[in-house]
Amino acid sequence: MGRQVAIVSAGFSEHASKRSDVSMPELVNEAIMDCLKKVPSVDPNKDIDAFVNGNMPAFEGANIPELWMTDWMGARNKPLMRVTTGGTTGGTVAIAGYYNVTAGLPGIDTVLAIAFEQQSQGDTATGLASVAYGEISILNTLGISYETLGRLLSAGAAIGVAAYQATNYMSKARITEEDLARVVVHNRRMAAKNWWAHLRMPNLTIEEVLDTPYVQYPLRYGMLCPASDGACAMLFTTEEKAKDMCDIPVYVNGVASVANETAVLGYDGSGSAQVDPSAQIGAMRSSELAYAQAGISFPRKEIDYAEVYSPFPNQELMWLEKLGLFEETTAPQMYENGTIALDGDLPVNCSGGVNSTNAIGASAMERPAVAAQQIMGTADNQVKKTVHTSIGHGWGGSLNLCTLMVMSDEPQRKWR
Amino acid sequence: MEKVGIVGFNQVKLYSDANYGRYEMIFEAVRGAIDKAGLKKKDITTVISCTNDYYDGRTISNCWTVEVGGGYLADESKCEMDGAHAVLYGLMRILSGNHKLAVIWGGSMPSCYPYHSARLYETDPTWERPLGYVNDITAGGFQMRAYMEKFGVSKEEIARIAVKNRKNAAKNPLALAESQNANITVQDVLNSDVYSDPVTELMVAQPCDGVAALLLAPERQALKITDNPVWITGVGYSQDTYYLGERDLSVSKSMEIASKTALNAAGIKNPKNEIDVAELFEAYAHEELIFTEALGLAEKGKAASFNSEINGELAINPSGGAIGGNPPCATGLIRIIEAAKQLRGEANGYQVKGAKKAIASGQIGMCAQNNILFVLEGNV
Amino acid sequence: MSKRTERKDMGYIKKDYVKTRTMPGSWYLSSYKYKFNISHMQPFLKKLKEKKLIANQCSGCNRVFYPPRLVCGQCLVKPDRWVDIRDTARVATYAIAYLKDAETGEVVERPMVLVHHDGTDTCNIAELHPDVDVKDTYIGMPIKAHWRETTEGGMMDIEYYDPIEDDAKDIK
Repeated sequence: MGRQVAIVSAGFSEHASKRSDVSMPELVNEAIMDCLKKVPSVDPNKDIDAFVNGNMPAFEGANIPELWMTDWMGARNKPLMRVTTGGTTGGTVAIAGYYNVTAGLPGIDTVLAIAFEQQSQGDTATGLASVAYGEISILNTLGISYETLGRLLSAGAAIGVAAYQATNYMSKARITEEDLARVVVHNRRMAAKNWWAHLRMPNLTIEEVLDTPYVQYPLRYGMLCPASDGACAMLFTTEEKAKDMCDIPVYVNGVASVANETAVLGYDGSGSAQVDPSAQIGAMRSSELAYAQAGISFPRKEIDYAEVYSPFPNQELMWLEKLGLFEETTAPQMYENGTIALDGDLPVNCSGGVNSTNAIGASAMERPAVAAQQIMGTADNQVKKTVHTSIGHGWGGSLNLCTLMVMSDEPQRKWR
Repeated sequence: MEKVGIVGFNQVKLYSDANYGRYEMIFEAVRGAIDKAGLKKKDITTVISCTNDYYDGRTISNCWTVEVGGGYLADESKCEMDGAHAVLYGLMRILSGNHKLAVIWGGSMPSCYPYHSARLYETDPTWERPLGYVNDITAGGFQMRAYMEKFGVSKEEIARIAVKNRKNAAKNPLALAESQNANITVQDVLNSDVYSDPVTELMVAQPCDGVAALLLAPERQALKITDNPVWITGVGYSQDTYYLGERDLSVSKSMEIASKTALNAAGIKNPKNEIDVAELFEAYAHEELIFTEALGLAEKGKAASFNSEINGELAINPSGGAIGGNPPCATGLIRIIEAAKQLRGEANGYQVKGAKKAIASGQIGMCAQNNILFVLEGNV
Repeated sequence: MSKRTERKDMGYIKKDYVKTRTMPGSWYLSSYKYKFNISHMQPFLKKLKEKKLIANQCSGCNRVFYPPRLVCGQCLVKPDRWVDIRDTARVATYAIAYLKDAETGEVVERPMVLVHHDGTDTCNIAELHPDVDVKDTYIGMPIKAHWRETTEGGMMDIEYYDPIEDDAKDIK
């Protein structure tokens, strides 16, 4: 029961704010070609047994688009499954790819997982705001007028519910704007060496980031993530077949995607029990489960590289603490003393992170994909130390969904 | 493939315009399934849901349903296809060994939105949508015409399937009230309004409100939870090409491939003799005939002469099938539940005698582009 | 991205792509109806008319939900008790809304708060008194509900929250 799963390749398409030269299927095809050219021994017609596909369908105006792009993926007459969960879509697609292989269904050994998003085709703000349409109309029926609702819900602006989380974290950790700008500078400079990232700024300084106007206090325009178009593909297979496909197969040792109840608004007009949105018990439980599966007892010591999903800089600091990598409220100091730098002890987000590239459906898959590439040694911005264990993380929904994938170059024999 | 057991299930009564809300419906389905199996909330380790953003009118349709679906602090994910595909994902999670109890639920409420307008977004935005010729309504017409012309099947033979299913639905207390009709005749079906020539209204599976839930557990735990688990012994799924013009609509290639994989995994060589009951998701009456042929139960073009009544050669859709009620994102799941009921002997009023092995199918896409087939076995 | 803010070129490497054919489309969310249950809300709305607050409680985990909730997620049962709560509360967290005055056109910053009533385990979204400045809001600030004069039995009967005296403010 439960076979060992290995990642043999990860591919990306070019990310930009408007990929006006390709339609959705062509964008997906670009990522798949990039993924397959790194494993020349895999014949796409014969060797790929199943597919998993996912994106956030609200942005492009296309429902269940994987039906449309069957031929561009090479999935004609082959098994295909679709998984979508909003902001964590990429992470859950990667996790579904893992489950496809480990389940051992007859005939399914090699699985191609694809996550993509073409946000320029839709209105990002409306797409994201429609998460709460149902709940907003209920509040209206219970007596709150649309005018008041508009005032109440305009707090958060481009950031949405994450603004409430930011206030709590920042008052807990007592950080300043400079700490946030330092995180942004780290991310954007790392992205400059990454060919597929969106915002590549090799010479960014803290002053330049602080010189932009406020969008939502205390986040300035220069600190926010962009809205990109892009796709990402990963190839999963069994332990035996992986040895023939690539030099260093990356074994998926732990996966978890524990959900919590929503923050800010509750369902059916009720309140939210997440009184402190930065407490994130769902994420802490996910990390406990995934680390236990992977046999990791001391995450700070045993993990060599981390990719966390942080469209806003304050979230990066919060997630590093919640995932057990740093002690509570000490993450900002790690950015000052260089622990998280390219040549540091625990490098973080050396691909630029979500702060530099955010194609919502694909970003949560790009985190485990880059973390896997760092173990393989083929990342576009490879860190100095040898990476043996890494993690890729994603969050989404109304601050309630979370995904985590723990990978290593040694297989972990099953714990149950 | 190791055996995985269905240990509990629950389905709400289908209505065309339910007077209660989505969360209440999901809670009723999931809580009912857990109670019938004698389990509790803390036993749930993973939840897979099946909903669709366009059918619910909001993005990330699963983030608000975490609590009512039993997913609070449980490993939760969502599969955005038919309910049967969510069961597939739940099956994979159990086979991995990471989880011991999986809750799968799915459903939607078409009374809240214009169903066919939401289906329009499945069409290709570059060619098909602007022209408007191909959509889920006309696709049914194309498929029926192709099948009738290729094999010389008459409209009456296809209408007989609609009559059989509607009469069967009348014996099923949970089916949609509008489709339960014990006195319907072939003439009634042919005289009803034209849906998309030659398909008529009564040949179509009508979308309605409904939610269903199912519980899966590995073999050892399933035997402890209930005396009567239903084993999933085989599964197969496959996706056909997208454009209708590139497929032969008179056959279902994806169902042929899916059935070959599923029947091989279950070790079934002759489905006609070894299978006792089949629950197929047929969006139109003629699709049931096409699937009967794709499964190898009848020669190509001869499915109309196959006896699929409850006491016939092989009972197909004794619960009424999708024509008895089609809640989008739950229909495939309900087919699996009905097949499991038959194997446990709990289908009061429409039980097939001595049912030991069953098959259940689900589909998604226009003209059944992606088909999935499960092979189920009772616990003897 | 807020369209009011100007894009400042921070020296990022940009590439232009050749444009291909485009097709228009839209997703008309306005044609959706959202059905929901109100049975769990009726006692709560009736008491609001009398300017009293009640909440429901789940016996399984003892959590108190204000506004009332349909199903307790932790226990997967319906809450079965009603308890009454005071109208004092604390600010759980807050964010800033930028509101443009319709006549003058000037942009005003107002704090929007998540209010955590004393004795409950949930928070809901609300506004503060119009004169309270963003700089004076802080997490844990004690506040009290300000009722409307004529109540109608709806959520708007609490118009906003007034700040009250914080006895611990002068302690370092």
